[in-house]
Amino acid sequence: MEGNVLEALKLLCVGLTTVFVVLLLIIMLGNSLIAFVNRFIPEDEKPIAKQAPSAISPKVANAIAAAVAQLTGGQGKVEKIEKI
Amino acid sequence: MQEILEKIYDMTAFSGIAENPGCLVMYVLAFCLLYLGIKKGYEPLLLIPIAFGVLIANFPGGGMGVNAVDGEGFVTLADGTKENIWDMSLPKIAHDLGLMNFIYYMLIKTGFIPPIIFMGVGALTDFGPMLRNLKLAIFGAGAQFGIFAVLLVACNFFTMPEAASLAIIGGADGPTAIFTTIKLAPHLLGPIAIAAYSYMALVPVIVPLVVKLTCSKKELSINMKEQDKLYPSGREIKNMRVLKILFPIVTTTIVAILVPSAVSLVGMLMFGNLIKEVGNSTSRIFDAASNGIMNAATIFLGLSVGATMTVDAFLNWQTIGIVIGGFLAFGFSIFGGIMLVKLFNVFSKKKINPLIGATGLSAVPMASRVANDIALKYDPKNHVLNYCMSSNVAGVIGSAVAAGILISFLG
Repeated sequence: MEGNVLEALKLLCVGLTTVFVVLLLIIMLGNSLIAFVNRFIPEDEKPIAKQAPSAISPKVANAIAAAVAQLTGGQGKVEKIEKI
Repeated sequence: MQEILEKIYDMTAFSGIAENPGCLVMYVLAFCLLYLGIKKGYEPLLLIPIAFGVLIANFPGGGMGVNAVDGEGFVTLADGTKENIWDMSLPKIAHDLGLMNFIYYMLIKTGFIPPIIFMGVGALTDFGPMLRNLKLAIFGAGAQFGIFAVLLVACNFFTMPEAASLAIIGGADGPTAIFTTIKLAPHLLGPIAIAAYSYMALVPVIVPLVVKLTCSKKELSINMKEQDKLYPSGREIKNMRVLKILFPIVTTTIVAILVPSAVSLVGMLMFGNLIKEVGNSTSRIFDAASNGIMNAATIFLGLSVGATMTVDAFLNWQTIGIVIGGFLAFGFSIFGGIMLVKLFNVFSKKKINPLIGATGLSAVPMASRVANDIALKYDPKNHVLNYCMSSNVAGVIGSAVAAGILISFLG
């Protein structure tokens, strides 16, 4: 029984330390990833072609494009958006 | 005539129930769990299949209960003979032991289903809040304290693998608890799964209780947005979409290098998340992972875990120990997260609301919602949901890593 307690104590130390180390590494690498992305890939590609000047904002156009892509499994593309 | 009546009596389950009245206790338990799942809405997707599994497993003669194997892997067949389960083919298991044993030994005992469920969980998880508040993820580690603290106590009453399976309930993650138990103490799968999911369903009761016992009004009123304004991190994320795609790949790599035994859980979690974040090109497999596969896995998991809870496997002192130990593990995990935040606050100018530590246990997103409700009671403008989600999601990774450590040391 005493052996069990000693083993449990060992697991307490090793286990908690490992969980801390793994999460710390994830935080550090997450920060590095953020720095990397901010520096080298700062912006997403624009998903749709330029629109003629209209009342439709790029945000709305992107939302429509995303919805169409979702519904058509990536097959459909938005070429033109017109107000009716 | 009497002979016919006797045969009819033997044909029904009445004779079996009369021989083993403990079945009645199992029916009551099944009805209670069904009530909690259906009427109260406590984790209905899992509690209802588990409860129904308990019910159908305990009708004598039904052959729907999972036959437990002994320490050497021998299972008792209907004619009383024993056979090693690992020498039996799947068709033979289905023929000799019935449908539920077939499902259990094919999908659960092999450890197939929990990682599949983790894939679905990953597909439904958004790491965005965690990436926006990355530092808070460390509190997901503090909330694993309950696992190891209860292991320290439980090892006096159980064998080490059994104690570890019980302690992992403190991770507040059903698939992780099931995966660990399958690997370390499969004979305790039923009660441990029930305890894990019941306590997860009771998060809205347990979290406020521990918070009330350990936190002051002043601490719970710490407004995270005001703290952010006072001490800004000075960093913005310019391309969240790319970051979200890279994150699961990098995390899997780190975990795979440090704790390879946790890869089956963390790897599948991150794979599910990756196919979600990639977008349109993987939308079909994302849909399969988060709907069809996840739902089918949940049904098989729930029913067969419930079916492991036969009278002999459930009505014993070990089950009572698991119920008590599981509650302590859960409570200590919340306590551990809160204490880590308090320790952090001693040394830091920027104060953190202890509720963010409390949500370090997995139970995503229920723990965060509960914590948000508590924060709003003390300050109606203090929305901590996004901050809590950071430690909450980190808790999922943390508990999977803890499970990997237990399996590598004790498996």
